[in-house]
Amino acid sequence: MIKKLKGTKDILMTFVSLLVAVLVYGIFLIISGVNPLDIYSQMITQTLGNGYGIGQVIVKSTPFILVAVATTISAKAGLVNVGGEGQLVLGALTSTIAAVFLLDGFPSFIGIPLMAVAGMLGGMFWSGLAGVMRVCWNMNETLTTVIMNYIAYDIVAYAVYGRLKDPESFNWPMSPKIGAQLKLPEIYPGVSIGIIIAVVISLTTWFILSKSTGGYKLRVIGGNVEAARHAGIPVAATQIKAFLISGAISGLAGMIEIAGVEGRLRTTTGTNYGYYGFLAAWMAWNNPLAAIFTALLIGFLSVSGNVVEISSGLPSSCTKILMAIILLSILWKGKKK
Amino acid sequence: MRKEMKKLLGTGLAGLSVAAMLSGCTGTEGGADTAQVSAADNGDAAVVGFIFVGAKDDYGYNKAAYLGSLAVEEKFGDKVKVLRSENVPETEEASRTLEQMIQQGATVLFPTSYGHLYPAMDVAEKHPDLVFYHQGGLECADNLGTYFGTIYEPYYLAGMAAGAATESDKLGFVGSFPIPQVIENINAFELGAKAMNPDVTTTVIFTSSWSDPALQTSAANSLIDSGCDVIAQHQDSTKTIIELCEDKGVYAVGYHADASELAPNMWLTAAIWKWDELFCDMAETAIEGKFDGSIYDGKYRAGIAEGVVDLASFGPSVSQETKDAINEVKQKMIDGTFSAFSGLIKDQNGNVVCEDGHTMTVDEAESMNYFVEGVIGTIEE
Repeated sequence: MIKKLKGTKDILMTFVSLLVAVLVYGIFLIISGVNPLDIYSQMITQTLGNGYGIGQVIVKSTPFILVAVATTISAKAGLVNVGGEGQLVLGALTSTIAAVFLLDGFPSFIGIPLMAVAGMLGGMFWSGLAGVMRVCWNMNETLTTVIMNYIAYDIVAYAVYGRLKDPESFNWPMSPKIGAQLKLPEIYPGVSIGIIIAVVISLTTWFILSKSTGGYKLRVIGGNVEAARHAGIPVAATQIKAFLISGAISGLAGMIEIAGVEGRLRTTTGTNYGYYGFLAAWMAWNNPLAAIFTALLIGFLSVSGNVVEISSGLPSSCTKILMAIILLSILWKGKKK
Repeated sequence: MRKEMKKLLGTGLAGLSVAAMLSGCTGTEGGADTAQVSAADNGDAAVVGFIFVGAKDDYGYNKAAYLGSLAVEEKFGDKVKVLRSENVPETEEASRTLEQMIQQGATVLFPTSYGHLYPAMDVAEKHPDLVFYHQGGLECADNLGTYFGTIYEPYYLAGMAAGAATESDKLGFVGSFPIPQVIENINAFELGAKAMNPDVTTTVIFTSSWSDPALQTSAANSLIDSGCDVIAQHQDSTKTIIELCEDKGVYAVGYHADASELAPNMWLTAAIWKWDELFCDMAETAIEGKFDGSIYDGKYRAGIAEGVVDLASFGPSVSQETKDAINEVKQKMIDGTFSAFSGLIKDQNGNVVCEDGHTMTVDEAESMNYFVEGVIGTIEE
């Protein structure tokens, strides 16, 4: 009974915190000289009022969901992995390399899975390095993963300025287009099966984390490393494993971005997606299922930000203020409990 | 586990209910209605959309294009509604923004950055009845024309001012990407400078970005430290480098828009855009349904003679003698008797790239992948 009441209260509190954010942002909009009701209604009708807009929210949210799930897995093992960004970018790079140099002649049913494997390996390599640094040399993973994000951008730039550059691009830094057969199938015009993959992965992760012994071990480590050691749980190996799985999922997000959305690699492909994913994970209190909703919320906000700018003339970065207010109020809600 | 379920349900439900509540406020119905509503909002006005890769107040590329979009708004008044979006990345994000403008009724679209081309191509293919004008590209489609100006002409003139001003005979150039439109400007700058001062060299650093203040600062600083006393640039946002030049007491050559107010002492001049009339004419052509077969259907290039590109105001240090020399060449360009790329020109390795007596066509100029003699730097292949 008490449990039930607590659950209802939880829903209410989340609702209230979101409402507070919407109200606070409304005041900001009034100060900026626009009618908040107009803006909110435009954000919703013009983004969610048509199939294209909904599709774009889904497309935009897909990498956020995956990186959020990856962040969650690391977090359960007591690791703050901010490297989803770099792991995504590197996964995009390795999957593009595979697509351009190796898989061009392959049919879809072999080429796409191999491309996904390539992307996952790229992300795993990057997170694995951070894992080794954490476990073997006791280097703070929050710092190493952030720094490695910047190195990942540079590796991508090195590739698209060099061997991976499209020979027909007049020296513009981008890769050639991947073969049409390597593009992910679409479930709706412009929306690839990436979203299904993302949701399935997040469901599976939630199930494993909360039901399996592996997930239990992970949570014990995250709860108290010393206790986990005394209980005979191999902390180092489990943390490395968590890092590798996180990296694979983020790398897959990069592959989906290439095969499902962009079709080619540019220096700016996926920029900031990893950070939005990290944000989604924290807004969801590292619950992989709740992360689907928070990722969709962030996706909705970033897509509708364009609409706000186009129709009201406010800079689209204004939506980032709304995002920040929502994050703060959700964190505030957590603090109150 | 049950607790977790509830927590996530809480987050999800709350999110959905806020969305539902907000849409309740506005009383919207299905998707089709919405599309009609937004189309009806525009009345009889034709809708023209502009996307910019940077901010409209960058004292550069985006400011110039933004001023052009303002001109369209002013000229047509109620007949045209202008939509704008700044800071649109050169990825599929650009496609999304264009599609969103189309949702709001836009029928003429200006993707104004070089890297907006491929995303715009994708959108253009899906909307064969709309017209797209891409700025500065080298490719076209049935309903996508590309327009640009031979900005290397005024850049040659700016080079003359730099060549006359330098005392160290070393000019610096902060480039962005090693693509033809940037290389043209660097080469024209060096050739113009050499016309005033045969010993002058231009050292180039590429930043691989249109507007990264940190990279701009470090590139300009290292050029200044190596003895360059004039810094020119091909960046979208010119403010950082120009202000740095003023601080360090080296001459500044701007780009895209007149930024003389940023460097009252060290400003020389700049090659600038004047999009106003062209944008108005292009918009009108498309709105009237006359795009097919018009001069804008394909690759359109205008120059100093058409007034699409020009030279900015001169700074205080430019002597009357230099001004006269520059204005004389400018007049010849307008008359069509002189071009930046004419006569014997050799590349860095001494190979002849333009024969004596030949004047390069716009196409030849736009396929440059080499630096002319006197430029120090490399183009990575």
